[in-house]
Amino acid sequence: MKKIKSYKYQINKNDFVNAGKVSSAIKRNLKKIGFTNRIVRRIAVISYEGEMNIIIHSQGGEIELGIFENKIEIKINDKGPGINDVNLAMTEGYSTAPSEVRELGFGAGMGLPNINNCSDKFNITSSKDGTKIQSTIYLE
Amino acid sequence: MKRTFYLEKDKCKGCTNCMRKCPTEAIRIVDGKAVIDNEKCINCGECIRVCPYNAYTPITDKIIDLKDYKFNIAIPSTTVYGQFTLGTKICKIHNALLGLGFDYVYDESWAAELITKAIKEKVNDQKEIRPKISSNCPAMVRLIKIKYPGLVDNIVEVEAPMEIAARLAVKKVKEKNKNLKDENIGVFYISPCPAKTLSVKEPIGKSRSYINKVISLKEIYGDMVRELKMHSEICFSNPSLTGLKWSISGGQTDACDFENSIAVSGLENVVDVLEELEMGKLDHIKYLEILSCNGGCVGGTYNFENPFVANSNIKHILKTIKEEKIINDDIDRYEEYKNKGYFEVEIYKGIQEKKPNIKEAIEKMDRIERIYEKLPSLDCGSCGAPTCRALAEDIEEGIKTIDDCVILKLEGK
Repeated sequence: MKKIKSYKYQINKNDFVNAGKVSSAIKRNLKKIGFTNRIVRRIAVISYEGEMNIIIHSQGGEIELGIFENKIEIKINDKGPGINDVNLAMTEGYSTAPSEVRELGFGAGMGLPNINNCSDKFNITSSKDGTKIQSTIYLE
Repeated sequence: MKRTFYLEKDKCKGCTNCMRKCPTEAIRIVDGKAVIDNEKCINCGECIRVCPYNAYTPITDKIIDLKDYKFNIAIPSTTVYGQFTLGTKICKIHNALLGLGFDYVYDESWAAELITKAIKEKVNDQKEIRPKISSNCPAMVRLIKIKYPGLVDNIVEVEAPMEIAARLAVKKVKEKNKNLKDENIGVFYISPCPAKTLSVKEPIGKSRSYINKVISLKEIYGDMVRELKMHSEICFSNPSLTGLKWSISGGQTDACDFENSIAVSGLENVVDVLEELEMGKLDHIKYLEILSCNGGCVGGTYNFENPFVANSNIKHILKTIKEEKIINDDIDRYEEYKNKGYFEVEIYKGIQEKKPNIKEAIEKMDRIERIYEKLPSLDCGSCGAPTCRALAEDIEEGIKTIDDCVILKLEGK
């Protein structure tokens, strides 16, 4: 299937000042295009969790939103340091977030499980050079 | 959607204040005058509040309309008691309404207490949806329908206190006066805002309204103050304390006594919270009270007193009056009314979502983006649109042209 459009958003590490702005922009665009509420909500959750993961855990990264005729692809890529044990990170409630981040109300260990739950297809690879998540949602 | 206020064109100077404040970007300035798009207007009343020239005028019924009926019932909004000098006795306020020609007063707070129970049950039953959102403020229900349709299912579907009050009042009156027919009874709601006024003229659910006429509080405030002085303090009943809390922000969550509920008032704050809610950030919250006006219903534009003073007055009443002086058996008949379906309401969800033509929509957005890039990003409003982005959208739709941008003109571009 042909890609109709893609949007790329850069996210900086530790940038709590702008936290949520990228996922808000994604949500706004999808609503304007006219995707159903269910689709918009799932992608909003995926991109928000992805954005927060990059801010909290990585050296920075980007989110790419690809819109196809029959699906939407969200790529969440960061520049490292990578996840030691991906299986453990996929466990609900497991978190490596430092306590100062938890004090802000983040780091409940639901990020990756939430992304997985909202995706129709989910793929994650991680090395010390970075974590790459690809989430796919098929259009109804 | 209908509107319950209108613009006096002679008074409007086209100053853009209302246009910039409108939460749904429903206002444009055309030929130097404000024009409201009724499809987008949620009747929140922000434009009435911010207009420096008092160009917006509420459409309200009047005391003279009492003559249309043989028997007239007044339902004072819970905010009414906050509008008079601290210490003004509730019975004086009720007697003032009788003095104005009403035959019976039924307190909205009694119905609010009943509905508090209904909300508690519904929120506890519907565990799969979090948070549940209050439906008391009609402007907020309309805001969700227009701007956040994905959250419609979060709204608690319960009838509004004013409607329950109207039904129970009529029932009571007919029990006492067996010969009265429905068409001879006039139910008047004393309203704090245009949003509640509209929910009588055009109910949010599919059901009809049980209220016949709506008088804005400001419309009869002067008359009430005059009447207050003439009456003794013979009481017939106090308001419900639980229900009276509904007039101030946080009162509803307090009355429901949920753990983990939040109360948000003021349009801008509500918009922020709904945006977060859409991202799944507030799924741990049980109940979300949202009210359009700062400080809650006491902040409604048809009130006389400023919301902070009114809040203090209400809190004084809550501290000083006694529950045992409530002479109304309706409050104890919750189960009976529940079984009769009094509290059920279906919020009309609007048109079904249709599948978007993604390609077309994206092309349209790209066109808007290209126009937007040419604009100065000042959001000055001089073109008659609230933001540069709104102007870009208007240009794309062919309503305006790029020549409408005053800044570009000044720069000679």
